[in-house]
Formats: sequence, C-alpha cells, structure tokens
Amino acid sequence: MTDTAIEAAGLGRRFGRRRAPALDGCAFRLPAGRVCALTGPNGAGKSTLLALAAGLLRPTEGTVTVLGTTPAAARERLAYVAQNKPLYPQLTIAGTLRLGRDLNPRRWDAQVAERIVAEGDLDPDTKIRALSGGQRTRVALALALGKRPELLLLDEPMADLDPLARHQLTATLMADAADHGTTVVMSSHVVAELEGSCDHLLLLGSGRVRLAGPLDDLLAAHTLITGRAGEALDPHTVVESRTTGRQLTALVRPEGHLGDGFQSDRPSLEEVVLAHLRSPDAPPLLLDAREAAV
Amino acid sequence: MTALTATTTPAARPALHRGGLLRAVLRTHRTALALSLLALAAASAALVWLHSLENEARAGVSACATPPMDGLPSCAAVEAITVDQTYANGIAFLATALSWLMFAVAAWAGGALVGRELESGTAQLAWTQSVGPLRWLTAKLAAPAALLTAGTGALVLLNVWARGEADPDLVGDWYYPDAFVSTGPVAVAYALAGLALGALAGLVWRRALPATGVALAASLLLHSLLERHREDLWPTVGRTAPGSIELPRSAFQVTWDTPAPHGVHISHATFHPQSHFWPLQYVETGLLLAVAGTATAAAFLLLARRLP
Repeated sequence: MTDTAIEAAGLGRRFGRRRAPALDGCAFRLPAGRVCALTGPNGAGKSTLLALAAGLLRPTEGTVTVLGTTPAAARERLAYVAQNKPLYPQLTIAGTLRLGRDLNPRRWDAQVAERIVAEGDLDPDTKIRALSGGQRTRVALALALGKRPELLLLDEPMADLDPLARHQLTATLMADAADHGTTVVMSSHVVAELEGSCDHLLLLGSGRVRLAGPLDDLLAAHTLITGRAGEALDPHTVVESRTTGRQLTALVRPEGHLGDGFQSDRPSLEEVVLAHLRSPDAPPLLLDAREAAV
Repeated sequence: MTALTATTTPAARPALHRGGLLRAVLRTHRTALALSLLALAAASAALVWLHSLENEARAGVSACATPPMDGLPSCAAVEAITVDQTYANGIAFLATALSWLMFAVAAWAGGALVGRELESGTAQLAWTQSVGPLRWLTAKLAAPAALLTAGTGALVLLNVWARGEADPDLVGDWYYPDAFVSTGPVAVAYALAGLALGALAGLVWRRALPATGVALAASLLLHSLLERHREDLWPTVGRTAPGSIELPRSAFQVTWDTPAPHGVHISHATFHPQSHFWPLQYVETGLLLAVAGTATAAAFLLLARRLP
C-alpha cells in the first residue's frame, strides 16, 4: 500500500513529431485519498494525462507511477471513464453490468453498480443505444464504481448531465469515495463544477503543470489586492494585475508582509484559476512537492 | 486503510468467474455469432439435402443410347431427369460460398471485431477493466478462430461427403478454384488468414470503415494471388510424345506445347495429376497459415508497442 495515488516525473507525450507536445515535463504528486480537480483550458493536456495514468497511452518522456506501480500493473485497481463515455450500444444496461462482472472477476460489486443505475430511474433492460448522453454517463459511472477502484479517473464526467443529475451523481460519487477512501481525479474546464467537491487541484496549461497542491493551501498562497495604481508590488509574485483608472487590482502570491497601501482579500478558486488562465506566463506554483518532503 | 479492505475481501472467489473474458467477447459479438451459426446450420442442411440427391443426379448425366442397349438407359429417360441441374448448381453455390468465406471474415474482423471497438473507445473501456490489452486481443482472436476452424472444417467434410463420387461432369474437376478450396483444409486456412488480416487492419487503422476496406483488399489480393499461382506450388509432371498426347481425365494441365521443328509434331505437356491434390492442399494451407501467423504476431506486437 502506498500513500501516493499518482506521481509523475518529467512526464511528456507527443502526438506526431511536428505537433507541439500534448504534455511536456509534467511533475506532480497526488496523495492517496484526495479528490483532485484537473482543470485547464481546452487542449491543455487533461485527457492525455488521464489516459497516461490509465495505462492507455505510452509516455514519450518521463514516467508516471500509479498506486505505487506502473499504470499497466495497477489496471485492476483503477477505473477510468473516458470523455465520450464509450459503452457497447448493442448491450442492455444489465448486460453492460454483467460485462463489468465478467471483466473484473475479483473486484466486482454488483450492488453498488445496480444502485447507481436504479437512482437514475433506468430500466436495466434498456439498450445502451437508447439512452441519452446523461443516462450513458450514469451507466459508465456505475461500471467504474462497480469495480471498487482505489483510483477513479474521470474525464469530463459531468459534461452531459443536467444540473439535478450532476448534483446527485456528484453526491453519490463523493459519498462512495469517502466511504472507501477512493482517490478521485476529475477533469473539467468548468471551475464552478469542481469547487465544493474537491480538495486538491491540478491546473494544466499548454501541457505543463501551472498549479498543483491541496486546494486550501493553494488558495491561502494567493491574495487578491486592490490599491492605488503605481504602488510597488515587489517582492511579491504577481500572477495578474489590472489597472482601471487609478485603481490597481492584482492577484499576488505574497512574500512576507503586504504593504499598508493595499486592501487584501481571499480569492475564490475561480478567481485563482481564471487569473492563471489569463496570464500564461505567470510562474507555476507546486505545493505538492513540499508536502511530499514533510 | 479503507481501500485495503476493498482489495482483500472479494479475492476469495476468482474460480467462479473464470472464462469471464470469453463470455464478454461472445456477448459483445452476439449478432455475428447468431448469424454465423444460422449460416452454418443452413449450409449443413443444404449439403445433407444435396447428398440425398447425388445418386439420382448421377443418373441424369450418365451415358445413354437411343434405342437403349448394352445396359445403357435411353437418352430420353436420362434427359427427363432434372435433378442433376439442381444438384450441380447447389454444389457449385456452396463451393463458391465456402471459398469466399475469407472475405466475409476479413471484413467483419477488420470492422466489427477490432476497428469499431478502437474507433468508439469500447476497446479502451475493456483495457481499463481488470483485463490487459494482450489478453483482450487473445480472446478476441481465439474465440472466432476456434469457431471458424470447427465450423469451416465441418462444412468441408460435409461438402466432400455431399459430392459423393465427385463426378467431374456434375461437380467440376478437383482443380477448379472453388472446388479445390472448398474440399480441403485450405478452406479453414483461408478463413483464419482472413481473421488475422482483418484484426491487423483494425489495429493499424483504428477505424471501422477503412479497416474493413483494407482487410477486404488484402484478402482479395491474397486469394487471387494464390489462385493464379496454385499450379506452381508443387512440381508438375511432364509428358512428351510424338503426335498428340492424351492427358488423363481430371489432369490439371499447366502447359501444352506442340513444336514442329522438322515437320514432325511433338507434343509436350506439363500437368498435375489428381494425386497432387493433397500436396497442393498442404503447401497452400501452410502458406496461408504462415500469413495468418505473421499477421497475428504483427497485431500483438503493434498493440504491445503502443501501450505501456
């Protein structure tokens, strides 16, 4: 047993020689038992990172370790739900769950899977091809959770769900994860979707890690300040600053005491993420490595 | 740690679910399985029925005399028999179907068995269950290969039985392309080569439609190449004689030369006698199995290289 769910070192993946790498030199560590939000703009490498961790892609550089071993060796202990929620359209829901039992003989928990399907008022005899996008997501999640994974990798899991189903499935997912100590990695570019359910953040941009670490620590490391334009922001690290008229608004990582000329506020997760997305040149902040050393 | 209990408790019942992967493969290709079993049943029934016609059909092409003499039946009586047409057409149709089986298998393997699964992501779904990609491909290939071997083998035996004495006037000579393929082990080897080529095409192209096309094209090429060069797969027998020569009935004639250097006609012929049926079958089967084996190895290698 290891206390690290995913650890990446210099992880890179290229698709074709001429194209820019989808992932480039990613290094981070996700402790076990966390619910991690994986976010970033379109094309940042979120899906590539999840596919690498799920053992569906071979890295072109570096390594990724999952549950203390290689992704291929951890196959039995992890579950992965791809962005397009692939399922066999010709099978019924019950047939899909039987497939899960047949392909996971040592781990399958039929009750969990059946409960998730039943919560969505789905008839087990319905063919997958007759389901709506959101209902498919539910069956895909039932298949993933029925495996009783130690690590659950979800690529845009909630994108097709209506707000009510999203709320309910997130609650089911979080309750299940809390009960079993499952590590969850959930990708999304909707930041609001992640706040409240996650306690760890991984922000990718252009294939690199921009922010990594426990959510609270990351939020605590940033301060939203307002002051008069022209005030010096040294020695603090400025993520983003904007001047409107004579007023300066900035998101900074304070190094020591902030000057008296500033009014400071705690930023929300959305503000931190958006500020980083708007300023691609802001230096990365990786708080997970420090935690690993403790 | 809570996750630990999850790993240890259900571990006690693995034997109960052995063969789960095989069940999964059969379940996901249920339509193809049902259709091929239906085709197998229909072809078997047709061959049994054709066998029951054989004696009567032979009477329909027997030598005759008008008026009847020397124990030969009257030609009017022979011509009145129409079963020989039905029988000959039926046997010819089934022989063609058996020798073209490879194309159907290749198209299915490239499209539905592998290509579509990689295109829609259901292959990746299977690989992130407890089953590794290599075991997945093994099951995907082994199950249809076993069914094809058994089914095609049974049909070949039934076909040989239904052809009875294999009167060339009724069922064609042994070296006719369809007859040759449908009466020996090459029929099974063609089907297996189609399966392997289809699976490889599916893994290379990763999309159903192009994989189907490529698998079909490769099978057509292999099929016509072997049909064209079948005569070269075993050394021929040569015969030279002055004047004209008479080759035995059912000889597979390869060359025929009548040079007349000094006004003297000399005929030279090379051919395969009927006794070459088995050597030709064995060589062609060997070649096809080598193609199937190479394609299968390439498919496994490709999958192993692509995935960690």
